[in-house]
Amino acid sequence: MWEQQVAFWVLAVAMAAAAIGVVRSRNIVHAALFLVVVLAGAAAQYILLAAEFVAWVQVLIYIGAVVVLFLFGIMLTRAPMHDDAGALDNDQRWGGLVVALFVLGVLIALLVNAFGGKKIHFSNALVSLGRTSHVGTDIFRVFVVPFEVVSMLLLAALVGAVVLARKD
Amino acid sequence: MNPHVDFHAFAPEIVLTVTIVAVLIADLFTDDSKLPARIAALGVLGSLVPVLTLAVDGQTRSLFGGAFVVDPFSLVLTGFFLVAGYVTLLLSFDYIGEGDYYQGEFYVLLLTSLLGMIVISSARDLISIFVALETITIPTFVLAGWRKHDTKSNEASLKYFLIGVLSSAVMLYGMSLVFGLANSTVLVDIHKYASGHTPALFAVAVFLTLVGFAFKVSAVPFHFWAPDTYEGAPTPVTAFLSVASKAGGFVALLTIVRLGFFPSGNSWQPILWVLAAASMTLGNLAALRQTNIVRMLAYSSIAQGGFILVPLAVAGDVRGNAAWQAVVIYILIYGAMNLGAFAAVIAAARRTRSAEISRLAGFGRTNPAIAVMFSVFLFSLAGIPPLAGWFAKFVMFRAVFDANTTVAVVLGVIAAVNSVIAFFYYSGVVRRLWFDEPAAGVELSSPRLPVGLSAAMGLMTAVILVVGVYPQFFARLGEIAFQRG
Amino acid sequence: MTRLANPFPGGDPLFNHGLDLTVIGFVIVKTLIVFGLLLVSVLLYIWFMRKVIADMQNRIGPDQAGPFGILQTLADGIKLFFKEHSTPARADRPVYLLAPFVSALAAFLAFAIVPFGGIARLGTHTTFLQLADPPVGVLWLLAMSGIGVYGVMLAGWSSGSKYPLLGSVRASAQVLSYEAAMGLSIVGVLVHTGTLSTRGIVLQQTWQNWHSFVSQWLWLPAIGAFVIFLIAATAETNHPPFDFSEAEEELAGGYHIEYGGIRFAIFYLAEFMNMITMSAIAVTLFLGGPSGPKLGFLNQGGWVNVWIVPVFWFLLKLWVVLYATVWLRASLPRLRYDLLMDLGWKVLIEAAFLWAMVTGVIVVGQDQHWNLWIVTPAAAVAALLVYGFLMMCVPGKRELEDIR
Repeated sequence: MWEQQVAFWVLAVAMAAAAIGVVRSRNIVHAALFLVVVLAGAAAQYILLAAEFVAWVQVLIYIGAVVVLFLFGIMLTRAPMHDDAGALDNDQRWGGLVVALFVLGVLIALLVNAFGGKKIHFSNALVSLGRTSHVGTDIFRVFVVPFEVVSMLLLAALVGAVVLARKD
Repeated sequence: MNPHVDFHAFAPEIVLTVTIVAVLIADLFTDDSKLPARIAALGVLGSLVPVLTLAVDGQTRSLFGGAFVVDPFSLVLTGFFLVAGYVTLLLSFDYIGEGDYYQGEFYVLLLTSLLGMIVISSARDLISIFVALETITIPTFVLAGWRKHDTKSNEASLKYFLIGVLSSAVMLYGMSLVFGLANSTVLVDIHKYASGHTPALFAVAVFLTLVGFAFKVSAVPFHFWAPDTYEGAPTPVTAFLSVASKAGGFVALLTIVRLGFFPSGNSWQPILWVLAAASMTLGNLAALRQTNIVRMLAYSSIAQGGFILVPLAVAGDVRGNAAWQAVVIYILIYGAMNLGAFAAVIAAARRTRSAEISRLAGFGRTNPAIAVMFSVFLFSLAGIPPLAGWFAKFVMFRAVFDANTTVAVVLGVIAAVNSVIAFFYYSGVVRRLWFDEPAAGVELSSPRLPVGLSAAMGLMTAVILVVGVYPQFFARLGEIAFQRG
Repeated sequence: MTRLANPFPGGDPLFNHGLDLTVIGFVIVKTLIVFGLLLVSVLLYIWFMRKVIADMQNRIGPDQAGPFGILQTLADGIKLFFKEHSTPARADRPVYLLAPFVSALAAFLAFAIVPFGGIARLGTHTTFLQLADPPVGVLWLLAMSGIGVYGVMLAGWSSGSKYPLLGSVRASAQVLSYEAAMGLSIVGVLVHTGTLSTRGIVLQQTWQNWHSFVSQWLWLPAIGAFVIFLIAATAETNHPPFDFSEAEEELAGGYHIEYGGIRFAIFYLAEFMNMITMSAIAVTLFLGGPSGPKLGFLNQGGWVNVWIVPVFWFLLKLWVVLYATVWLRASLPRLRYDLLMDLGWKVLIEAAFLWAMVTGVIVVGQDQHWNLWIVTPAAAVAALLVYGFLMMCVPGKRELEDIR
């Protein structure tokens, strides 16, 4: 199992570094690109957990659509595109650091306390849980109500977006 | 092979969904602004029919392993939401139709939000609850910003959106931790898990989930979006936000606490206690200082939210269902009072063209009918017998005394003090209405009130008077809601 | 079509016995082969394209480098490689340098799932002739085309001037729009095959007899999806008549105008790799991939029939499709940009949705043994009615002018 451990830590450190890059970057496009790294790391973590379908959907939705739309939004609006020192900084980094470290400490303590002794045992059953067919069965049998409600929600969001965007 | 789906159980949702699509298509093919509105109203009333048939049938239907349950509780609240939605439609017809911002899509978004509400009253697992809650809020982000050319409306929408998204993220983080610990999203399983020994992380997970809800129901200290949003949004939307969407949050909170977190009382009771005490106190104190009637009602609804939280906060020490009943009864009565109050504000604003309290001076002499009903709603909110508000307060205090612990009694005292404070500002407005001289420049001659608006006000006044005199009616509803079906 | 049993339920048999050095060696060799195949294909394709277009336009085309000018692309590549690098002063340097590689990487990785042959046996090992066969292969393809957008977008943005920016916004909007239609058209295939793995999809289209050409290869059972896929893929790869990213009248060269030398060459390479990948995917999804009749006079299990013939069929089909792309390039003028967007959002996406539903009806009908001669026309008529209704909802030209 040590390979998974190594892979996990490499990915985790990369994700954390990129996440810090997101908040530290002075250039909003660079921040979005760091975010891509974080999201890709999350997808890789899903693969480590044998959830291949979710991993690729993560890439498809978050990297392929959400961040692309971020970039679109940045390019189509008059957002500052190049280094713009000060505009993105609210001078609260020390306060932010204290809060972040506090939350980090609390979460580490609590998560270790709650899940510390538990282990994931890889088995065929676990792998089959991540299979597309299994996910599909779950969505259309167990979670069919939320699924249908989400489709109405998306319809409403689409209608709302058109209303807000169109000229009148 | 294929799962058996009980379509009767989904009938209200299905009727409403079909209505939404019908409104969208009708709006596409006609320039007649009345047709989509009529379809919407008919559809909402039509969704009440299956609610009644399900109620007559009376059997509890549990689907998808307990994730979606149709029982008396969900039927009572589905009925409430549909009626509240219908009244909101009555308020909106002319308001939206007359403004220069008419769009038929208004009804689509309103009904989608309503759909989320009726789903939430039957949802019994975290995923359904979350999805339904988002379905309630996301359309209202757009509705709050409906007056696109008004910067206040833009501000309302943006604040509501940012806070709403933040609270969803917090709540989702809490829910994911709950799922990780309990290994299930179904509330029944979480209940089982919470009955055993739980690690400290569970308390944090509960805390984060409840904080998310606190944003949704605008409980202090997560309330600061509410006054600005209520002020900037079109008034019918404000009525909808303050009643239906807030009630949606409370229903989800009630469900999740009662059926999920309940056994682990230490994790949720203190949070709700603080939220209740802070909401009542700050809401009322801030309401005292308002000069704008909509902002005043916004703070008042924060305070009323605090009152609704009181029985929830003490529910762990109350035997039987008294606390849960108190919440449901309070929600029903609060809905009637607040919808009425906002209807009166809309009616008054048609005459005074302003939402300032000072402009209401002497309104009782020029427009006595509106002023009488306005006063009824305000006194009812203050809890004066024989108006329905007293009964809501009564069941709340009864729950507190049933609990009979020190913390509960302290909360009861805070609630009592706040009821007195609240009386001041409600009665202040009433005094303005009747005892002040009309301000110069207020237009006195005015067109007739639209039928929908008058109907809404009349209906709400009737409900408040009937329930105030004959409270057994709602008390019975509260009992039915928690009967074993 | 009839569903066939999958002889390899566990994916690539190479990994059935765990991971050791030989297996890793296999993977490395396969990677090199696939990369080489793709590069050589690009070199040949560019030459082929120039020659065919020249022929259609009564010109000679490249004829200096090598026999028939076949080395022309290589010569161009060498020239570009030795050209001076320059970076615009206002460029965002790290992103500017990164962008071409993102494009090329995504284009190459997308090709990894294409099955270009049958089964190879070497020693004790058996493997698919394809770089990777993830169980969610089609999602991989879509994810890679999503990542490919970054190359275009970042190139335009990081160049720090307005024509590349406009070009990249255009190109990426186009790619995103058509990705939706393309993904939905693929659904029409997935419903038939019941798997997301590309190997699984070609195994469903295995050649049994001449009847397989119409019954098993999906181009006919999924004809609607095929047509939509071809149009969407053409737009997705910024290929004429949809080559807006480099509309010289308005934008000069498009998103990569500020790139020169080898960096420009990489974009160029990525563009053509994408073309070849998309054609190969079309072959995989709709034309049976490497399946085809075997040479009857030779031993059915012999190396010619197992190794060479499937690769031959794959390459043959690939080049037929590639010839079609050249033909398009030579004969069609560029569309107008708003027409392109209208086509994507108002026609293709709806059509792809409806086709997916019709496919669903047909497949369920097969499962439940309904009479397909009744079900299929009924579903088609219903779909056409809905489509007509949707088209009524789309405002016409005059109404659009009123709205504006």
